[in-house]
Amino acid sequence: MRILIVEDDPDLARQLASALKDTGYAVDVANDGEEGHFLGDTEPYDAVVLDLGLPVIDGISILQKWRADGKTFPVIILTARDQWSEKVSGFDAGADDYLTKPFHTEELLARLRALVRRAAGHTTDTMDIGDLMVDNRSARAFVDGMPIKLTSHEFRLLSYMAMHVGKVISRTELVEHIYDQDFDRDSNTIEVFIGRLRRKIGVERIETVRGLGYRLVDPSQEKPSKDDKT
Amino acid sequence: MDASHVSPVQGRSLVWRLVRVAAMWAVPAFAFTAFALIWFYRSSTYRMFDDPLVSTIQSLVSYVEIDPDDGRIMLSDEPIDPNYQRALSGRYWVIGELDGEGRLIPVVGSPSLYGATLVLPLEDATKITGNLGEVVTSVSEGPDREPLRLAAQAVIFPDLGDRPVVIAAAADRRPAVKAVRQFSLIALGLMSVLALGLVSAIFMQVRLGLRPLFDLRRRVADVREGKARAVEGDYPMEIKPLADELNTLIGHNKDVVEYARTHVANLAHALKTPLAVLVNEADDKSTPLAEIVARQSGIMSKQVDHHLRRARAATRGQSIGARTPLNETVSSLARTLQKIYRDKDLDIQVSLDDGLVFRGEKRDLEEMVGNLLDNACKWTGSKIAVSAQMLDNGLGNITITIDDDGPGLARDQYDVVMQRGARLDEATPGSGFGLSIVSDLAKAYKGGLALDKSPLGGLRTILTIPGSEADA
Repeated sequence: MRILIVEDDPDLARQLASALKDTGYAVDVANDGEEGHFLGDTEPYDAVVLDLGLPVIDGISILQKWRADGKTFPVIILTARDQWSEKVSGFDAGADDYLTKPFHTEELLARLRALVRRAAGHTTDTMDIGDLMVDNRSARAFVDGMPIKLTSHEFRLLSYMAMHVGKVISRTELVEHIYDQDFDRDSNTIEVFIGRLRRKIGVERIETVRGLGYRLVDPSQEKPSKDDKT
Repeated sequence: MDASHVSPVQGRSLVWRLVRVAAMWAVPAFAFTAFALIWFYRSSTYRMFDDPLVSTIQSLVSYVEIDPDDGRIMLSDEPIDPNYQRALSGRYWVIGELDGEGRLIPVVGSPSLYGATLVLPLEDATKITGNLGEVVTSVSEGPDREPLRLAAQAVIFPDLGDRPVVIAAAADRRPAVKAVRQFSLIALGLMSVLALGLVSAIFMQVRLGLRPLFDLRRRVADVREGKARAVEGDYPMEIKPLADELNTLIGHNKDVVEYARTHVANLAHALKTPLAVLVNEADDKSTPLAEIVARQSGIMSKQVDHHLRRARAATRGQSIGARTPLNETVSSLARTLQKIYRDKDLDIQVSLDDGLVFRGEKRDLEEMVGNLLDNACKWTGSKIAVSAQMLDNGLGNITITIDDDGPGLARDQYDVVMQRGARLDEATPGSGFGLSIVSDLAKAYKGGLALDKSPLGGLRTILTIPGSEADA
């Protein structure tokens, strides 16, 4: 899962970024409205944490532009303004959630998790794919109830595939959603990660669809569901 | 006017000051005029009164003949006025000699004297003998003890040696005195009425003239009470600059308040991000320092919220003439809350009477209804009903009723949730804090918030706010 944080306070941005990375997200940070808008417009984020009082372009305007451009990623507004008039205008601009400062990081993480899984059509923070269980809350995965040791990149990969279980995910999509902007995006590394992940959770759980990408499946079911080839 | 008789309030009253200044010249002027008129009337009356007396004396002088035999005074004729014949008629004449006490020893006298004579005041007696040939007027008392006006002249007849003969004529002066008195009364009365009329006319004129000033005072009071934004009205050119200056001052004052308020809000908001950083930093660790930071930043947050609320409260009541359609605002709030609580699968029924308008600012309405709806969404099972109607009490109030099917509150908790937030240290977010904000806001609009049991099973909140039907 890849998250964009648009926040002009460097300390808060750093705190949020590190908290989000710790829970298994790839994180990009924009320190002003213009950069934030550009990143949101060009990169496929799974969620955005948006401050409202930003230099250059304010948060509401950015949000309106994104929505006007057809961007559908969930956006959580982070602001010092706590009046209902501001909440209403935030939601009317297309926000999905609203958190007022000061807040506890836990609260933000919980809401972000909820937004991401809702966007993917899930209702709980944990996902069961047969006897594989992915817990997004603790950023851990279990096979047969036994915890598996995963690096943060491996978990991100697994978590993203679990969110879209049964669907074919292209290599590019994986790269875009599990790496942050500054990461060296050699698509070969994806193959390396897939290989490592397969070794840890079982080869049969990740199928390679030639020319298209990968798919996380439940091997205990013969044909999981009708393929949704996007 | 003696200053000690004027109360301090009147002393400072512009009206009284102007009236007093006017009275200060008007009253003496009228008094002087009255006395001058009386004096003129009186002297002319007496002159006219004296004229027949003088002509009687002149006739008598011409009638006097000296008997060549014994040197006695005789009259060739007598004044024709029949009153000189009638006894004690009040009209007399005497020809005679003065004794040392002013008494006229008569040689010849009018029959009306009835044997008596005339007595002159001693002073006038010497004046007569001292000014031979001149008519001197005087007053005296007649034989019937009536007050007389008297004219006398001393004449020397060569045939009689150098002893002066005094010829006097007198008449009852009471008719003249009466006429003068009557005139005086009328003159004084008329002048008093005139003076009084003038002073009250001045009073009216001053009141009318100063009316724009009183009007201005009322308008300024309206501004202070929040009934008007600025001093309005068409003022005369002498006062218009004052009204304009007042408006500028009011505007400036508003700007200063607005600036201060914005400043407080900006400061409060600016503090929130650093607070968030502190809270987050302290959350991660369990050192004594982190605990202190966490505790202190908690206190700071509450202070910031408290002062923000106060800054917002200060702007209330300045929104004269603001009108917010109810339907639009409530609908967008309901939409927002559906999003916030989307995991809850809420069923929010909004059924407002058509065309209701809140007489106040939109953000205040949003704050009130938003908090109430949020509270309902927090506690409800799934159903929420919002309704609003014009209250039929003639006060122009709208009631907004919000019902939920949650657990509700016990009646003895109603006051507690409304009071929260009144004391800062008890105010914990998310526990009825919102209701006290709503209650405070509603009170600022002279409305109110009431709680009740909902027919849906949960809590019913009834918000009363000033409103009207559209285009009313």
